[in-house]
Amino acid sequence: MWEALKNIMVMIELELRRLRHDRTEIYFRAIQPILWIVIYGSVMGSVRGIPTGGVSYTDFITPGVMIQATTFVSIFYGLMMVWERDSGILKKLLVTPASRYSMVIGRSMASGVRAISQALIILPIALAIGVRFKPNPAYFISAFIIIFFASGGFAATSILAASFMKTRERFMGIGQAIIMPLFFASNALYPIQLMPPILREFSAYNPLSYVVDAVRGLLITGDLSNIIVDLAAITLFDTVLFILASISFRRIIE
Amino acid sequence: MRALDRVDLIVKPGEAFALLGPNGAGKTTLMRILTTQLKPTAGEAYVFGLDVVRDSGRVRRLISYVPQEMSVWTDISGYENLLIYAKIFGLPRHERGEIIDEVLENMGLSQVRDHLVGTYSGGMIRRLEIACAMLIKPKIMFLDEPTIGLDPAARKAVWERLRVFKEEYGVTIFFNTHYMDEADLYADDIAVMNRGRIVVEGTSGELKNSLGGEIIAFKLEESILKPGLIREIRKLESVRDVFVEDGRLSVSVKGAESTLPHLMNILRNEGVYVEEVSMNKPTLDDVFLKYAGTRLEEEGRISEVAHTRYMIRKG
Repeated sequence: MWEALKNIMVMIELELRRLRHDRTEIYFRAIQPILWIVIYGSVMGSVRGIPTGGVSYTDFITPGVMIQATTFVSIFYGLMMVWERDSGILKKLLVTPASRYSMVIGRSMASGVRAISQALIILPIALAIGVRFKPNPAYFISAFIIIFFASGGFAATSILAASFMKTRERFMGIGQAIIMPLFFASNALYPIQLMPPILREFSAYNPLSYVVDAVRGLLITGDLSNIIVDLAAITLFDTVLFILASISFRRIIE
Repeated sequence: MRALDRVDLIVKPGEAFALLGPNGAGKTTLMRILTTQLKPTAGEAYVFGLDVVRDSGRVRRLISYVPQEMSVWTDISGYENLLIYAKIFGLPRHERGEIIDEVLENMGLSQVRDHLVGTYSGGMIRRLEIACAMLIKPKIMFLDEPTIGLDPAARKAVWERLRVFKEEYGVTIFFNTHYMDEADLYADDIAVMNRGRIVVEGTSGELKNSLGGEIIAFKLEESILKPGLIREIRKLESVRDVFVEDGRLSVSVKGAESTLPHLMNILRNEGVYVEEVSMNKPTLDDVFLKYAGTRLEEEGRISEVAHTRYMIRKG
């Protein structure tokens, strides 16, 4: 346990060091979510066709778009694991005394570092266009901790997928194919009540919905009535994916 | 398909051991088993008395491994790579800085420690990888094609550093290579592997002597020889062995000077036109040719791997 925690910290340190040297990826990845908030948000907001529970539409989708962006980061983090399999890094890591599961969890959680920096870049722009966040530091920090842990689960999802897709090109397609359905079949852009019944059913199993719900509650609406369910769902999601990814990790190297 | 078949090897502590073999001989598979990455389907392997399957955790504390592919992060500095690995290996905090400085110094990388690895040359990256492997002062170091794709000067630099480590710390070095000269110069013991089997093992001198005296090589005009001709040559008392490979006839003999005229006679009688003749002491290349049945297609292979490494660097 202590050893796993230590390895997670080392992997997080690695990500921080990489980010310190080069943040271009994070900047470029911020363009798309900013377009969602600035353009899509204001256009759809002026239609006033979507019930958002008293907040403006742009405010409503900001957490959703932020989570979509951070999920992108963590899903494509799995791509990096495939890259590392092509190079010798993964092989070398597996010959160190570090256990395999601590490597999987460590790498997954390290994606949270990138995810958080991604969310932090979107934040000032959202503020600039007038998104009203709840001025509560404790809520704020909690939201980012949730993003951090949820990213670990999504990165583990991509490690799991990467262990079946052994080439980079295939994985690029799979990455998109995972994220877009998760995004559209969630409450990121519209409340679940608006969805057709089948999609609503799917949304109940969509981890992204729980993350968006928790973060929206903390950052925008202040409505924390579902937070316990949200946290339980995220914990379950992380646990299951960490286990599955650790098991399938062998496939990546063989 | 068996990647390895009845491999039976013993490596002595503190020596440099070279595993030679053509592509697909099973060298990398063997190394991946010894480094606990793959489980053998049958058979046993021990590293310093520890079973690589049952005691894999303890084995990993004793060994270091440098894979053939690039194994450092290019978007951080050399020092940072070592720091991350030092932490993964669990080196105590108060020794960490000193050990990293030491391996950087030993590998001649102190000047560039804070530069991004992406700016390093191929040889520097290789030395950094070996520096990572040296962090824990392993009892045995596994190197998969340690100098592939490097220019001769960089290869020499890598080996000189490795030799110092071996002598100073008594590290056992186990390496795969297809550079004959490297095995010849730096390995205490050599094993030749082909199609998953160890075909011959010994010191470089023993292997060369096993071919008998000298080698007479003929470059012939035609590439297909009649079996009768080879039988005829084998009949000569001083001939030890004959091997043929596209237009080259190599005859291992005792007393080249006195045998050559006989050989020329036989060839002339059979109407074979000889373009060139050379007489040599056997080289490791000849050993390889005899035991693995083929020369290494060095050029094609090296450029291919160098290309792969390059592509990996580009990401």
